[in-house]
Amino acid sequence: MSYIFSNILGTFIIDNNLKIIDRVVYQHASDEKRLLLKHGAVKPDNDALKSILGVFKDRAYSEKFHSINLELTKAGIRDSVTDEFLVIEAVHAIDDITKVSNTLMKRFRGWYALQNPEYEHSETDNEILLGNVLKANTVKKEKISMGAHFSKEDIEPVMELGEKIRVLYRLRSSQEKYLDGVMGRLCPNVSEVAGALIGARLLVHARSLRRLAMMPASTIQLLGAEQALFRHMRTGARAPRHGLIVAHPLLVSAPQKMHGKIARGLADKIAIAAKVDYFRGKFIGNKLREELEKKFAA
Amino acid sequence: MKQSSIFEVYEEQKGKRRFLYTKSILKGNDVYGERIVNEGNDEYREWNPQKSKLCAAILNGVPNIFLRKGDFVLYLGSSTGTTVSHVSDIVGTEGLVFAIDIAPIVMRDLVFLSEKRNNIVPVLADANMPETYRERISLVDFLYQDVAQKNQVEIFLKNARMYLKKGGYALIAVKARSIDVSKRPGEVYRQVFNEIEKSGMKIIDKRNLDPFQRDHLMLFCKY
Repeated sequence: MSYIFSNILGTFIIDNNLKIIDRVVYQHASDEKRLLLKHGAVKPDNDALKSILGVFKDRAYSEKFHSINLELTKAGIRDSVTDEFLVIEAVHAIDDITKVSNTLMKRFRGWYALQNPEYEHSETDNEILLGNVLKANTVKKEKISMGAHFSKEDIEPVMELGEKIRVLYRLRSSQEKYLDGVMGRLCPNVSEVAGALIGARLLVHARSLRRLAMMPASTIQLLGAEQALFRHMRTGARAPRHGLIVAHPLLVSAPQKMHGKIARGLADKIAIAAKVDYFRGKFIGNKLREELEKKFAA
Repeated sequence: MKQSSIFEVYEEQKGKRRFLYTKSILKGNDVYGERIVNEGNDEYREWNPQKSKLCAAILNGVPNIFLRKGDFVLYLGSSTGTTVSHVSDIVGTEGLVFAIDIAPIVMRDLVFLSEKRNNIVPVLADANMPETYRERISLVDFLYQDVAQKNQVEIFLKNARMYLKKGGYALIAVKARSIDVSKRPGEVYRQVFNEIEKSGMKIIDKRNLDPFQRDHLMLFCKY
């Protein structure tokens, strides 16, 4: 009796004494069939399989094992890149840009305040401040100002820094737009209900759409509030009402009293949306959102 | 530099500290920023016990790791290939290391490593499903497992049953905290002993990895 065995090296016919009596290198399904017919071989059972695997424990095959597996693994790594990876990188990029631009903006404010502290003090919005300062002649100095007089030479580096920060703000908004697009492709429903950025953050926290889809709504409600949750469980402190979804427009505009209820409702809808997205259902995001808005309309 | 009591592993005593090395099969290359010592025509790579549990086990006094030159090795949970590179040094150019890992990101580093070292075979697969890589590897003389999974013992036994030759040796780095955080490590270890011995494998040696790794136990088994 002989056995037929295929692996990445080829298809082999192996006899009872574990000698290879016929082989086809680089198998195709048809090769296997042809050899099968020619030798009347059988597929090995578990015991035989182990001894057959032993046939290939041979230095003669090492090089082939190495080169073919290398190719297969490279292909595997290539195919493993999904939209989820893009979302994760984009969210991290947006967070990094925000951090860097805030740091630089603090420096810019300090520097600019030396020459015009009154205006710097009066405008709290970073982007508006930056836009006005960089536009020539829009910001007037008060008559009696605490600001020092700067020579043109001294103003220049401040403005240059401002220009670069403005580039960062633009970069952030273009990356957010990109994230919108990817999220719309990967999970349109979650994106519609939660918003692209919050949806993406949930996805990053859950590590994959599959895991997010498998989560109960109560878990989604508290994603990102783990510290508070465990503090609550350990010490009996007040339970957190929401995690990452706190930044959602519905919650931001709601009175404190309603936060818990809204967070629960919102998490419910996100959980439904994630399941629909993972199993590639229809687009029902707008319906879910309308239901939410109607229920919690102020 | 002198040969230690373990095959293909070299040692150096500096004061109270003992340093381990493996003879590099690929000269002029460090793998993870380790110190390299040149002596005569040979190059020795320092083996860091903080980064490699196998090294920690040797420093904690195991008499033998049962790994020989020319061995075929199945390495589950290869990660970026820190320990794999030393195993590759030990088995030498005549041996072969099948390195399995499920995470594509760490596999990338392993691919770069195996492009330089011909005796490392990278396989992107789930060690929990050994039948998925049946066509990609052969029987082996030696099984090494270091995966932080709840069912790591089950994974270990499944792979041994399928790919380890009779009489072959197997090492498992048991991470008590991934099997059950709430139990005391000693309890987890006892459970592991039972499970392994029930399968017909013999436990030859056990070694705690303190102070290099906390709550880890290296088990040396024979199939």
